[in-house]
Amino acid sequence: MSSRPIFSRYADLVLLAILLALVPAIAADSPYYLRIATLAVVYMGWTVAFNLIFGHTKQLFLCLGALAGSAAYVTAVLSQQLQLSPWITIPIGVSAAAGLGVLFSYVAVLRGLGVIFLGIVTLAFSLIFQNLVLGLRQFTNGETGLVTRTQDLTLLDHPVASYYLFIVLLALALFVYCSVMASRMGIAFRALSDDEQTAELSGIDVTTCKIIAAALGSTVIGLFGALYGFYNGIISPNLFSFVSIDIPVLISLLLGGMRTRLGPIIGAALFAVIEEFVRPFGELNVLVYGVLLIVLFVAFREGLVVMLRKALGLSIP
Amino acid sequence: MVVRVEDIHVSYGPAVVLRGVSLEARVGEAVAVIGPNGAGKTTLLRTMIGMTRPTRGCILYDGKVRNGLRAFETARLGIIYVPAEKELFPGMTVLENLELGSYCNVEDAPGRLGYVFDLFPRLGERRQQLAGTLSGGEQQMVAIGRALMGGPKVLLLDEPSTGLAPKMVAELYQQLAKLKSTGLTLIVAEQQVPLVLSLTDRAYVLEQGAIRLSGKSADIQGNPEIKVAYLG
Amino acid sequence: MTATLFDGIVQGLQLSLLAVGITLIFGLGGVLNLAHGQFAVIGGVAAKLLLNWGVHPVLAGIGGIIAAGLFGLLVDRSLLVPAYRYRGEERLLLGLILTLGLSFVIDGYLNYALPEFSLMLSLPIPAVQVATIPMRTAGLATSLIAMMVFLALFLFLRRTLLGKTIRSIIENEIGAELCGIDPSRTRTIIVGLAAMMAGLAGIAQGLFSSLGTEMGPEFTILGLLVAVVGGVRSINGTLVAGVFLGIINAFASRYVGAYVAFIILLSVAMVTILLRPTGLLARFT
Repeated sequence: MSSRPIFSRYADLVLLAILLALVPAIAADSPYYLRIATLAVVYMGWTVAFNLIFGHTKQLFLCLGALAGSAAYVTAVLSQQLQLSPWITIPIGVSAAAGLGVLFSYVAVLRGLGVIFLGIVTLAFSLIFQNLVLGLRQFTNGETGLVTRTQDLTLLDHPVASYYLFIVLLALALFVYCSVMASRMGIAFRALSDDEQTAELSGIDVTTCKIIAAALGSTVIGLFGALYGFYNGIISPNLFSFVSIDIPVLISLLLGGMRTRLGPIIGAALFAVIEEFVRPFGELNVLVYGVLLIVLFVAFREGLVVMLRKALGLSIP
Repeated sequence: MVVRVEDIHVSYGPAVVLRGVSLEARVGEAVAVIGPNGAGKTTLLRTMIGMTRPTRGCILYDGKVRNGLRAFETARLGIIYVPAEKELFPGMTVLENLELGSYCNVEDAPGRLGYVFDLFPRLGERRQQLAGTLSGGEQQMVAIGRALMGGPKVLLLDEPSTGLAPKMVAELYQQLAKLKSTGLTLIVAEQQVPLVLSLTDRAYVLEQGAIRLSGKSADIQGNPEIKVAYLG
Repeated sequence: MTATLFDGIVQGLQLSLLAVGITLIFGLGGVLNLAHGQFAVIGGVAAKLLLNWGVHPVLAGIGGIIAAGLFGLLVDRSLLVPAYRYRGEERLLLGLILTLGLSFVIDGYLNYALPEFSLMLSLPIPAVQVATIPMRTAGLATSLIAMMVFLALFLFLRRTLLGKTIRSIIENEIGAELCGIDPSRTRTIIVGLAAMMAGLAGIAQGLFSSLGTEMGPEFTILGLLVAVVGGVRSINGTLVAGVFLGIINAFASRYVGAYVAFIILLSVAMVTILLRPTGLLARFT
């Protein structure tokens, strides 16, 4: 594609890696801020995945929390009930999330479901997930939550090590993203997001594109979800609800810019900052999110990255 | 009412569909727009009633520039469009479809309804039938009938013969001739060239978004190039 | 058994009231209103406020319904304006996000300002005997009102010119414009009407159990499911779907736990959507 050397093409990611790597040095004294940073990285991962699923292939998955939660709960419950090592249960959990994502994508394409129908079906699944977790108390401990502390993953007991672990995962997610976008599938994605019908007529296999995007995205979501479950020490349905995950990810993606490389990262980082400012408002934080959604989608549809591109004249990926 | 467009340019994104098209239909005239598929006939008609926005050019009704009007506003002015897709209300009866045609012109609606049933007796027989269950020809009749219910001064028809059996097409053009004789201005975009040229006074030949030829229909019919290209 | 059936029908009618508003707004405006449940809550909140000011219960109810309607009109003419500038999928998506944001704004504010809110109305006679089956008058009353509303709606849509205009826009917005119909003006009227029906559903909730400010999202989800199962463009379908899902929910709740019941409901809805994406009673795709 581009003839520029690899380093300059991905210079922004290198810069990002350096910036993110420095965070613990700055936040070392405050476990609170380190935790916020770690959570921000987790959400960055989810937002990158959502960018693939919704940003590029227009599949409105309103079940991100349920996917992440499925991975987390499957992993945790299997670990507990069957005394299996996380090295076995995590792949199973992630596969569960990936499988669900592929299922939704496949069925939607099969039945020709439009954006809203997929959105409603996935929203329904979100609720089914919540009720399943609450209903299967004997396995999941319902609302009280399931403790996920385990002997094998002591890495996650150290805050700084955990942070770097998630950075590595984020790098992995971005690697997947960049590989896909640099490949022929990436061209197909661009054509798809422009005009699906025309893309189909030009011979692009829209079905495969969507399913692959859903598969990759769901896998990343599951991976972050499962490990987040262990990092948090305890998981509960609330942690993976629509309001806890789907809404922040949606806002982050819109904030940063759909279909851009840095958009999800910047968006999630910014959202983490906003969340901190909004925290003192207590109940009203939901109101702030609502206002954000409205204002963002009306005035700043394209997101920060595109705005900065235009304002600074830089080609930010 | 005189409908005129001057130097119309229309683009769908990067693709230029109409370049510098000018056309006029005077009171009581019947004007044909012929040309191959993709020439821009439909786009031209849609621009004339405000369904498509031109990037350049003027749309004039009775000499007054009226760019920017929406389709329902031009309909209320008496300029009514019958699209190739007909755009009927499939879940509603023939009668309801026709009644809605008179939405912006309720005066003497019953009279016009009677006239439509005279023109298309088959519709009268099927008045309680759901429009979506009608045959192609019958749906075309409903589409034209609905337009007539609005008491139009100018009627724009987009490929009215599409999907109709030859006998139906002949019948249709007989009815159109009757309408023309009542003084209604007609603008007809067509693939069936000989029929539309017999019906109309003047014609425009549209190719690749530009007017290639225009003049009296009789002359166009006699034109050797047109003969070869469109009349076999 | 019959008591459960009756319960199901009562609930189902309430769901249909909510859902038909969503269907109308989608059919006319091409927008899926994710704040519809909040319209219902606003109706209930307004009614309660009027009650607190000493207004007669029936008038307070009517006042609540009108308040919800006015709010709907306001939303259509302000918040949704950016969405209406687009068509088709773009408009749908923008409308979805805007109404989602609105739902948060309303929820956030109401939960903050009225944390202990509860609307509970009661009728003078708690229960009656209809053909040897004891029924709660609340349920009976709300069912009757809902059925009357639907009947009025049917007659309105079939017999009046405005009603036919509305149906024509739902059937084919382009065709309607070609007849000289201005879709946006009609749409505003309908959004107001839809919001009023939501308000009625909210007050009904206060009548047969209790309405809390946090119930908005639940109403929206249920209304959405019923609307989609019934076919987002079919009003008859919405009524059938509502009663159908209401009965399923009633039986499921009776014989299985609350969580499982909801899962069953959601699964049935999902399966129906997947089997018949155009809706239960769809004729023309």
